[in-house]
Amino acid sequence: MEFVTILMQALRSPIAAVLFSALIIRAAPTFAAQNATRAVRDEVGRAITVPAEVKRIVSLAPNLTETVYALGLEDLLVGDTNFCDTPEAAKSKPHVGDPQNPNIEAVVALHPDLVLATTSINRPETADALKRLGIPVYTTDPHTVRAMLDSTSHIAEMMGAAQQGEILVGKLQQRLDALHARLSDRPMVHVLFIVWLDPLQSIGQGTFIADALRWAGAESAITSDQPWPHLSIEEVVRVQPDYIVFAENHLGATTDELADLRVRPVWRDLDAVETGHVLNISEEIERPSPGLVGVIEQLARDVHPEAFSAAKGLPVVSSSEKLATLTGCAEGFTTCAR
Amino acid sequence: MRPLTPKRVAWICLGLGLVLFGAAVISLRIGAYPISVVDIVKTLFSGILGRWDSIPTEHRSIVFDVRLPRILLAVLVGASLSTAGSGFQALLRNPLADPYVLGVSSGAALGAIIALIAAPHVPGAVQLAAFGGAAATTAAVYFLGRRGGQLDSATLLLAGIVAASFLSAIIMFLMTTLSGRDLRGMAFWLMGDLASTLPTNPLPWFEALFFVFVVAAGAIYATSSDLNLILTGEQEARHLGVNVHRVKLVVYIAASVLTGLAVSVSGTIGYVGLLVPHVMRMLFGTDYRLLIPTSAIGGAILVLLADTLARSIVSPTELPVGAMTALAGAPVFIYLMRRRMR
Repeated sequence: MEFVTILMQALRSPIAAVLFSALIIRAAPTFAAQNATRAVRDEVGRAITVPAEVKRIVSLAPNLTETVYALGLEDLLVGDTNFCDTPEAAKSKPHVGDPQNPNIEAVVALHPDLVLATTSINRPETADALKRLGIPVYTTDPHTVRAMLDSTSHIAEMMGAAQQGEILVGKLQQRLDALHARLSDRPMVHVLFIVWLDPLQSIGQGTFIADALRWAGAESAITSDQPWPHLSIEEVVRVQPDYIVFAENHLGATTDELADLRVRPVWRDLDAVETGHVLNISEEIERPSPGLVGVIEQLARDVHPEAFSAAKGLPVVSSSEKLATLTGCAEGFTTCAR
Repeated sequence: MRPLTPKRVAWICLGLGLVLFGAAVISLRIGAYPISVVDIVKTLFSGILGRWDSIPTEHRSIVFDVRLPRILLAVLVGASLSTAGSGFQALLRNPLADPYVLGVSSGAALGAIIALIAAPHVPGAVQLAAFGGAAATTAAVYFLGRRGGQLDSATLLLAGIVAASFLSAIIMFLMTTLSGRDLRGMAFWLMGDLASTLPTNPLPWFEALFFVFVVAAGAIYATSSDLNLILTGEQEARHLGVNVHRVKLVVYIAASVLTGLAVSVSGTIGYVGLLVPHVMRMLFGTDYRLLIPTSAIGGAILVLLADTLARSIVSPTELPVGAMTALAGAPVFIYLMRRRMR
């Protein structure tokens, strides 16, 4: 009985009163916010509860950060990853670590009411861990360029900016449609997309990159079901691709891939190398983000120059340039095609 | 047991050499690019005679730039690893010693990776760094493996395992500082891979590699009589006038050079140095004068066949050859070990 008395006394003390009131004050807005939530399913089928009005978001992948900027919602972005480099401003947001292994505590410390993740680079364990801490994670899962547009709409909707999403996706879709119309009478060119040169690694037909290439009127010459097949160089000699395509920033990249291939045994005898059909495109080709459309347009111009001759008019080029500057996607674009 | 004469050594080596030649012919025939035996022979003769007029560029490319260099590389790596393995087994007086098990390959890989990151375009830097890593690891494992001044078998193997995992941790750390895509190439290389593109002018490069191999393997072979004596007991060998310290130093440096050489061009291909000398001991006895040359040729055969399989079973996709040797090597090794115990 003595114990109860002490407890009662303690509760009546001024310190306890302060603590209690603090608890109540902190709890109050939480109750209020819970009233204005909605239940949604993300693209991998997880049920999540998101506040009706999202004010603070953390992005766990470069393509998602880029999407948020393209939607003009960067003010809501309170954190991203060390890999988020596009646009330049994304680098100065607080970082929570690498996409594969973000620091959960760093995410929590930013008090986000929504975290964005994607299947291609994030791990489901990260979403599980954040869910246990009461932070909803919306995971996107785009495997095609069209699915990327859908994801962009979803993200816009989640952030309460459905209209911006509609406008952006509409414009991107328009550009893709224009490109499709322009290339409709062109045969597909066969390209070898280089993920890694030494040892040789390319892409399978089911990858996001292969889909993006097809929009540019280019088909991966490798018919593998694996996403990242390690290839025999003999296979490259056998298929003789029309173009060899590099994405920037692979290890050991020299400034001029064509000059490098011209002195490499086997490679120097390939038709594509002899004719100088070696391209170096932006590594954004691998990123399911709005900036991808600009990369696709550039690649299309590189491999189908005849479809973009002056006689055909220039609507695609002008509109793309306008949006390219908006999303900052066409920067750093180089090509060594002669 | 018949006495070992130079004639017997020559005959056995000739026999194994024929097997190796057969393996090379098979390897030359198999690949993702369809080319007939007749065309291969035609291309080979044109190449030897220097007349290219009637040969399609693709055939020349496939035979002389893809398949032949790869066969040479497999022979070089296999011979280096199993010679190094037999050297380490004598040096540490432990039949389970092998560049891979002792962590020496991991040391060489770490050296090679540091060179690839720090100086990717300096010729010879990767080879030198791989040798440095191999030599440093051998020394570290050697000193860690001693108990009360004596080299202890179990302690030595444990030291090797610990060294390998420690070095792998450093390699993982270095690799995670690279981006995700870079990781894939490195990871493939770490498993052992012979598909690397050759330098612009491969002939002098091959000559240099083979020169280093001949010198290092020759040095180990030159000590084979002394190694036979050392294996019966270091005290006894010393009494018979063997400079045990110098022999051990020569074998130590030469085996490290061979490991560094193999790892720098192919990554870490496991079990070759362990498996081949064991098989050769079972076939031809424990005399090092026969064991070293037969191991060298046997290693070449094993890696050549493993690589041919690796690049043909899921063609046109390639598997890392290290995965093939480990798949074949580990079960065979367990079988050998259990047979010895019985």
